[in-house]
Amino acid sequence: MTDHPSAAPNSKVTQATSISWLTRFRYRHRYLIGYLFILPWFLSFLWFDVIPFILNLYLSFTNYSVGPLTRAKWIGLENYTTIFTADPRFLKGVGNTLYYAIGAVPLGLIFAFIIALLLNSRVRGLGVYRTAFYVPSLVPAVAASLIFLWILNTNYGALNRLLGLVGIEPIRWLSRPEWVKPAVIIVSLWGFGAQMIIFLAGLQDIPRELYEAVEIDGGNSWHKLIHLTIPLMTPVIFFNLIVGIIGSFQVFTPAYIFFGTDGGPLNAGLFYMVHIYNNAFRFFKMGYASALSLILFVAILIFTIILVRTSDRWVFYAGGGR
Amino acid sequence: MSRKLSRRDFLRLTGVATGGVALAACAPQPTPAPAPAAKAEPTKAAAPAAPTAAPAAAKKVTIEFMNWWGAQRRPLMDQVITEFMAVNPNIEVINRETPWDNRDQVAATAMASSTPPDVMMSTRVETYKYAKEGLIIPIDDYVKASGLNVDKLFYPGEINNQRWNGKLWALPMPTGGGNSSLYIYSKKLFKEAGLDPEKPPKTWQELDEVAQKITKKKGDAIEVMGVDPVGGSTAGATTLIYWLVCNNGNLATEDGRTLTINTPEAIETLEWMIEFVNKYYGNWSNCIDFWTGNNDTAPDGRFYKDRLGIWWVNVSAFSHLKTQAPDKYKDPQNAWGVALRPYNAKNPKATHHGETGLAFAWGQVIPKAISKEKQDAAYKFVEFLSTNEKGVCAFLFAQDRPAPLISCNANPDYKKNNPYWDIVLKALETDISLPITPVQTEINSFIKEAVEKALLGTAKPKDALDAAAKQGQAVLDKYWKGA
Repeated sequence: MTDHPSAAPNSKVTQATSISWLTRFRYRHRYLIGYLFILPWFLSFLWFDVIPFILNLYLSFTNYSVGPLTRAKWIGLENYTTIFTADPRFLKGVGNTLYYAIGAVPLGLIFAFIIALLLNSRVRGLGVYRTAFYVPSLVPAVAASLIFLWILNTNYGALNRLLGLVGIEPIRWLSRPEWVKPAVIIVSLWGFGAQMIIFLAGLQDIPRELYEAVEIDGGNSWHKLIHLTIPLMTPVIFFNLIVGIIGSFQVFTPAYIFFGTDGGPLNAGLFYMVHIYNNAFRFFKMGYASALSLILFVAILIFTIILVRTSDRWVFYAGGGR
Repeated sequence: MSRKLSRRDFLRLTGVATGGVALAACAPQPTPAPAPAAKAEPTKAAAPAAPTAAPAAAKKVTIEFMNWWGAQRRPLMDQVITEFMAVNPNIEVINRETPWDNRDQVAATAMASSTPPDVMMSTRVETYKYAKEGLIIPIDDYVKASGLNVDKLFYPGEINNQRWNGKLWALPMPTGGGNSSLYIYSKKLFKEAGLDPEKPPKTWQELDEVAQKITKKKGDAIEVMGVDPVGGSTAGATTLIYWLVCNNGNLATEDGRTLTINTPEAIETLEWMIEFVNKYYGNWSNCIDFWTGNNDTAPDGRFYKDRLGIWWVNVSAFSHLKTQAPDKYKDPQNAWGVALRPYNAKNPKATHHGETGLAFAWGQVIPKAISKEKQDAAYKFVEFLSTNEKGVCAFLFAQDRPAPLISCNANPDYKKNNPYWDIVLKALETDISLPITPVQTEINSFIKEAVEKALLGTAKPKDALDAAAKQGQAVLDKYWKGA
């Protein structure tokens, strides 16, 4: 249209006017525009985080079951008293979850770090290896758990077959209480790819000249790892550690797939989240489940604060200060 | 003055425009015009559904039926719905067939929401919970207006499963009974082991011979299992209760106020189970390994592959057998037989019984949160589904399973398909409706723990059951105190 002889002058004027209007509008309402852009996030934050959190806090002091909130009766600290004094499954859930966290988080970190180190080396077909190691973490947790249900089968499972090759008797991964949690920890390692990618990104950020400096000083690969790589990777390790701990406290899917809501033999697979789920959706004790959830929130918060507070002793930030 | 639109300006414009579009997308949609009223045809429904039911005519009502019948039964349910809509042209039923995953969560949140489904398939204990929380409506008035004599129409245990606090909350469909009262056995394995295939065990004591003669082991691994009283890879409350009712025991007293899971009969029952498992299979873990991965709805199910002598089943087993092992199903004279769950012959008061109402015992419930108009339509559908020949009878006959509606089971074609039909009906008649309360799920979790502890040898049966009874009773007492 603009190449039409009669249209051109008007068009240019209109364009100039609209742009100057836009500039003025942009300047006058610059804060408003900024807020407008964060509005969708803010609304979802309110609706999906803040309001549920406040509601959860309130419900934890009620005997709310299901249905209209008007039926929730204020019972003060009764839910909390019951949790700490008369709910043996609370302690069971806490114990199982801590066991899992202590096992799964360090193992996951070490495993992901070692694989990331290997994938950071210069070998042929590196892209293929990186993809191969990362892809499993994209498999949904439900699908991975179902696959492991077969892998961990006592008589026909692949894992026991492999162990059998080195003379280890079949392990009852899912039928003996003492093996249930190790089995879930093994499943958790399946998803190491996400941590590995973060480690890999961190490793590639380490300047090559630092390694050359170590070589000039006569250092070998071990020295590079201990005195250079690991210290420079501590911020990444710290990040993965926090994310790992938060995730491990909320372990649910493998236990749910393996044992349903029953918690497995002798409740060895009754993790804290399963306990919350049971109280909320099977026993209809939503108020009680809210109190359990709040306790979990506080526990995660405390652990995170402790980690952050202690991090200045072992996390090295290259940009400045410890 | 002309000015070129810079890339930065363009991005800003695009950003504002996109934001505007996104916000506009979040705006409420214009309300669609109401559908034209259905032609006012005289309804073909047999009787008015409710005393306050709107006159048949005018507006078409659409109701959603949330159920868990599974994709494989969807065509059958769609057929029932088509039949219903043919006689109720003013009601449209949407078949909301829902995946089984996270069922507890999905059902509870759906029912508790302000927009629940209009009819929902619900287990007995769920129905009681919903009723207790005031989420569903009782249907006594509707039933009265329809002139149905439900106590005559249904087996007593079946209709009583749907009653709570003196009111009727649902009509049964399918059976709650037949869950534990019968078993299928392999005539082939019986013959091979030198057992008489026409004389299946009637007592606990006769089960020994089956386990002894049929079981084949390789080390700890069970290759062929005669019979396992636990019957699956997990133990639950039902594991104990199914046998307890065959030992003159019960879950609780008639009024439902006192648990009776640590009576001498209960302790004897659990001791017998443990002794049996340890004697023939070494320990329970060996049995779990045998069962892990077993799937009755897959062709490699243990029974279908001749690896199991006695299969504890519910009435859906015939359909599974037909689908997964058609050759076996077609040969009931030589391949399989049906018998009633054995009882403890050492207890003179014991006899065969099944239970009904502890597990499943489905009915269809109607939420309180929906409009009166929808409730009326929902009841019409519930009534059709549970009492009409083209509803319950056709739906369950197609699955080779009996109906809670007594008249359906008189269909002579049942016997043509299943020569053991009389035993199936006998099983339904001998079912006991257990006295449960809305807190039964939590009580079951304590019983499950006790049974597991005893089976795994970490507690003596008496101690385990005493502990479960104490914990369960505390929950029950709290419930009755609140009630």
